[in-house]
Amino acid sequence: MLKVENLSVNFGGVRALQDVSFEVQTHEVLGLVGPNGAGKTTSFNVLSGTVRPTAGSVTYEGHDILKSSMHQRVTFGIGRTFQIPQPMHELSVRENLIVAQRFGRPDGKVKQERIDEILESVNLLHKAEADAATELALTERKALEVAKALATEPTLLMLDEVLAGLETTSKKLFMQTLKNIREKYSLSMIVIEHDIETIMNMCDRVVVFNFGKVIADGDPEETFRNPEVVRSYTGEVPA
Amino acid sequence: MELTAQAIFTGLLMGGFYGLVAVGLALVFGTMKVINLAHGELVLLAAYIAYAVESQTGINPLLAMPIAMAVVIAASLITFYLTNKIKKDRELNSLILTFGLGIVLTNGLLMVFSADIYSTQSAWFMEGLVIADSLFSMRSEMLAFVVGLCALGGLYWWLNHTWHGRAIRSVSSNRDAAKLMGMNPTKAELWSWAIAGVLAALAGVMLYVTSVIHPPIGHSLTIKAFIITVLAGMGSIPGVLVGALMIGVIEGLTTTFFQSSLSELASMTVFLLVLLVMPSGLFGKKAGH
Repeated sequence: MLKVENLSVNFGGVRALQDVSFEVQTHEVLGLVGPNGAGKTTSFNVLSGTVRPTAGSVTYEGHDILKSSMHQRVTFGIGRTFQIPQPMHELSVRENLIVAQRFGRPDGKVKQERIDEILESVNLLHKAEADAATELALTERKALEVAKALATEPTLLMLDEVLAGLETTSKKLFMQTLKNIREKYSLSMIVIEHDIETIMNMCDRVVVFNFGKVIADGDPEETFRNPEVVRSYTGEVPA
Repeated sequence: MELTAQAIFTGLLMGGFYGLVAVGLALVFGTMKVINLAHGELVLLAAYIAYAVESQTGINPLLAMPIAMAVVIAASLITFYLTNKIKKDRELNSLILTFGLGIVLTNGLLMVFSADIYSTQSAWFMEGLVIADSLFSMRSEMLAFVVGLCALGGLYWWLNHTWHGRAIRSVSSNRDAAKLMGMNPTKAELWSWAIAGVLAALAGVMLYVTSVIHPPIGHSLTIKAFIITVLAGMGSIPGVLVGALMIGVIEGLTTTFFQSSLSELASMTVFLLVLLVMPSGLFGKKAGH
């Protein structure tokens, strides 16, 4: 479905990504993990189009997406959330989704029933008419971020630390919501997350980053027993 | 009392026109974060087109509107094209670019029309209107006020009820998030510059029928539009109306009770005082919002 091959990104002298390769299969949930600055969000930025890679290729369902602009990738079926929620100011929760549907779907059709269904899936239906920027709590803003991406009818949803900052109960509820969404809309997902429990709970496979390189790729339980992965988390610089 | 009421009335009429001049600049700033320092010159270009049509054909200058719109939209889109070519520090570098374009336009008008002062030859615009038995205005002032209010109201409606309008608001709110919702921000920006061109053309023709025109006033119009845009809260359309009416009334009162040469000083003083208390302007979003 998604194939990332030999991706490299340099920011001046800093090599943010070095020869990174991984794949995501249909209906798979892939976790991207690793310490801060390891290259997880940079990978997201390349996939969504906010960062241009220095080398490498990315294909999504046959499209060479590196040749496409950010908004075109949305119409290919790639949805993304930001770590810090980015609602549209001066638009209600419902309007945020209407705009996402109108511009993010290839046919541009707005379906109110689908919007209500999405809002219900993320527990935001009761806040549909609220101002998105000023009247939502943190969990609700994160839910809106997911809902906006869902409104574009993605086949691959990329979630950037969507559970970060939530307290334990909200985190568990939100995780369940994400699992339900995955089932309901038959989505593939890429999840960036620091919380190991979340990764174990949600992901079919993990890719571990350290210093811009992929150091492990496989089943979550096995991968977290890998000595090199343990070393990357305990702060030791790999040889 | 009557004098005060007349001063406020005249100020409100002026404010409606100022709003029409400023709103195009506010729209473009809201969408693209570019301050178009050639905006006043685009308004003036439309005014000269109205003059040229009236002087060459003898027809009502209002009928020059389609030509003025076509030319000013084209000029506005050329400005957009050039601004969009700036890849680094666009907010800052576009100031130099648009300021330069303003100078080119002013000098172009000077070459073609000379430095002479022109105003409409149609007496209809200068005829008086009496409202509520005591308030006086020229027909042209009332016309410019009504056109200004309708343009601002129409723009507000368009931004809130059409897809292109919603796209402009979304890009204005958060460019990257808008892209992730499948929007092409360049298309939204193109629309905002085209609409700014329409508004500048309307303002220019109204300028010609209400006042006198000569090449240097383009720069003054830009400054006036910029002050109103900042006072409003950058990019706010309701703010533009309130800010423009406020500036108009202050100028009207100063001209009536002191002298006209102090009117800009007074409006600038109030502008600075408002910014001192409300740094984001009357309707601006607080930093970090």
